Amino acid sequence: MAPSIGRRAGVCAVALLSYTLGGCVTASPPAPGSRAGLPAPIREVLPNGMRLIIQEHRAASTVAIHLWTGVGGRDEAVGERGFSHFAEHMLFKGTETRARGFVERDVEAVGGRTNAGTSNDYTFYYLLLPATQARPGVALIADMVLNSVFDATELGRERDVVFEEVRLNEDNPRASLGRQLYSLLYQGHPYGRPVLGDAADLRAATRDTLRGYYKRHYVPENMALVVVGPVNPAEVRAAALAAFGALPRTGYARQPLAPAPALEGVRTRSVERPERQTQLGFAWLAPPLGHPDMAAVDVLGHILGGSRSSRLNQELREKARLVSGISGWYGALQGAGAVGVTAQLESADEEAVERAILAEIHRIQADGVTPEELARAITASEAEREFSRETVEGLALAYGRAETTWSLEAERGYLDRVRAVTRAQVQEAARRYLTDSYARLAFVPRGRAR
Amino acid sequence: MSRRARVGFTLAAALVSAVTGGAASAQPLRQQLPGGLTVLVRENTATPVVAASLFVRMGSRWETEDEAGISYLLQQVLVKGTTTRSALVIAETAEGLGGGISASADVDYSELRATALARNWKRMLELLADVALRPTLPAAEIEGERRAMLTALRSRQDQPFPLAMDTLMSRVYGDHPYGRPTLGRPAALERTDRARLVAHHQRFYQAPRMILAVSGDVAAREVMAEVARLFAEAPGGPAEPEPAVPAPAARADRTVIVKASSQAQVLAAFLAPPASHADYAAMKVLTTALGGGMAARLFTEVRDKQGLAYATGAAYPSRRGPGVLWTQLGTAPPNQIRAETAMLGELERIRREPLSPAELARAKGYLLGQFALDRRTNARLSWYDGFFESLGLSPDFAERYARAVEAVTAEDVQRVAQTYLATPTVVRLGPAAP
Repeated sequence: MAPSIGRRAGVCAVALLSYTLGGCVTASPPAPGSRAGLPAPIREVLPNGMRLIIQEHRAASTVAIHLWTGVGGRDEAVGERGFSHFAEHMLFKGTETRARGFVERDVEAVGGRTNAGTSNDYTFYYLLLPATQARPGVALIADMVLNSVFDATELGRERDVVFEEVRLNEDNPRASLGRQLYSLLYQGHPYGRPVLGDAADLRAATRDTLRGYYKRHYVPENMALVVVGPVNPAEVRAAALAAFGALPRTGYARQPLAPAPALEGVRTRSVERPERQTQLGFAWLAPPLGHPDMAAVDVLGHILGGSRSSRLNQELREKARLVSGISGWYGALQGAGAVGVTAQLESADEEAVERAILAEIHRIQADGVTPEELARAITASEAEREFSRETVEGLALAYGRAETTWSLEAERGYLDRVRAVTRAQVQEAARRYLTDSYARLAFVPRGRAR
Repeated sequence: MSRRARVGFTLAAALVSAVTGGAASAQPLRQQLPGGLTVLVRENTATPVVAASLFVRMGSRWETEDEAGISYLLQQVLVKGTTTRSALVIAETAEGLGGGISASADVDYSELRATALARNWKRMLELLADVALRPTLPAAEIEGERRAMLTALRSRQDQPFPLAMDTLMSRVYGDHPYGRPTLGRPAALERTDRARLVAHHQRFYQAPRMILAVSGDVAAREVMAEVARLFAEAPGGPAEPEPAVPAPAARADRTVIVKASSQAQVLAAFLAPPASHADYAAMKVLTTALGGGMAARLFTEVRDKQGLAYATGAAYPSRRGPGVLWTQLGTAPPNQIRAETAMLGELERIRREPLSPAELARAKGYLLGQFALDRRTNARLSWYDGFFESLGLSPDFAERYARAVEAVTAEDVQRVAQTYLATPTVVRLGPAAP
């Protein structure tokens, strides 16, 4: 998952990269004999191109209603940088029939929760409501995304809120490192641009330009509604048809994305920061969503740095005590992927840490992984799926993201692909992707830049 | 308003379903074993997973300034070696079961947590018992975790919000142990050697001080029998008297920290009643009306209308001893004084102006709704069961609490606001104000 920006700190505003398996493995068919077996989700494409996914989940007491749109940082032209995220904020600021604050008031008064998130590839909105509220919930989310007014006064106020969000992120070194590492890795590519955008473009945004952007992208062909909960699918379908069925087709087709430019050698950046600890990040270009190597790279990321028993954690934190924290991860976007390592350390150890990380990578490339490591990675993947199914929003997120950036079917079959990964494939993935060309970003204490 | 239907939600139905529902049993099976260990088991067939929380009545509350942080350090080292398992074997075992094991310490309790695929529940409990009862506390691991904690304490000093928060807690609690970070004090950590940790473990890991809560796709009676077997060797012991702690004394003053940061932080706090107090539910509603959710006063007034914040909110954590209500906002440095004035204005207004019926209904709905939403996964269910028990609250606390919240009136909220929100203790952090 790419960096995702939300409206409110603590929900998804400071979500870094979602590490490895958590990002994509969530919903395959239930294992035979599971007492909690779910029926398969229903997927339907309405005549206007809008997609509808309904998952009955009888054991739940809440319903998750997600609206996903295929618009994000990568779709922004010059002069529009940050518009996807700004528009996401404005959708909470009133519709033709509901005043500002309606969403919060209505949803919170029934004990629900609402928020939204924007990334490079998508924007999504969610309502989490008591199960009885599915039908009004569908109508509410439709009103929000279709009839937003973009009031000029509200727009001015909300712009300041967006700037506050930028500042909040700058003060958090780990969040900043993740974002800037992506910028360095994907330099010159739309994925390298910050989702929060460009201050000048945001200042220049007017009601007309921002609303125009919204109207262009929030069209039925570019949206998916996902409903998960103890619902009657026929009722939900009727509510969705009433809310979205009459929208005309627009002929919208998303701009294709160029492949990420290859790196030549090591691309290094060092940034001075007020903190006394050093943060170090490495990232390599890796397969995008749907690529045949995806499952093997996912397993590789897990074995390298995805758990307490992982290679990097054991060698650098537990044995050598060179870092206070370290993780390895794989994040797949629609058009490109990244595999990386991030660590927190003392500035004097920067070179030793770098050597040790690269040595662990070379060890996997030379000797491969053990059968036990592979088995644990697969078990972790299976467990991740089961734990994410404990909540309706876990499933809705996985389905919405898959429908928008990949495919629902591929997502549901993904665990089987992970189960089929061999040790040879993991070793081959390490050789193919963890090459001598990578991005290296260091946050160092003031006065210590190399 | 046009005739385009405004779709209303039905409040009454929502409140009912918020507190019940789901595939988890409404009440956990509760039993106190002969040695004194309290066990709570909740059957939940929704997903084939299981979670366990082992609560120990150990934490800042029982620490002196001289040993501040010892509970946290002990917890971290417990998962680093037993008489039959190394740190690596503990981690590999937990991951092989489809979950993990981790440890933490807080002011009123310390916790060991484990998760697994439900089919592995027996092996998960065996690992948990091993870590709790037969730790070796290796010297090298103590040194490593001590260094990690010292680093974490230093990082808190470097980051605007944690620094402001730690300052606020020390100003509002004075010498009371709740005023110290759970990570402790650097000088005390430097002094903590293996002998002290062994003694700390012996003093606190006694059956009567422990609560084990389990939730998942398991059979409660089987779990109960297995726990009795695994924890039979847990030492008993006389109940230790509650520690004598200094009474909290809020400074009720204002601290300005000048520090380079992108955002200025403004925080205010007040001493508040403990979780067992009759005013607890009204204080929760007050906190929610002020700063719980995006329709709360701080969010709508300070962020939405004035654009003076991105994150803002209020919290009233549940404490066995004296509680605290705090509010927070982050804003652009040039706005810091205006933002402080706006926040303090809302704290004053809520004492003066009663909540409107809509605000009261929204706050109650949101409070109970979030409570229900937070009690859906097995990890959270077992945490809540252990937490309530550790505070000395009965297993039906969730239901009693929900009824108490529903009974709160606007007058109750105004009364507790006037009682507890008299004089704020304020911390503002940011670059030098113009």
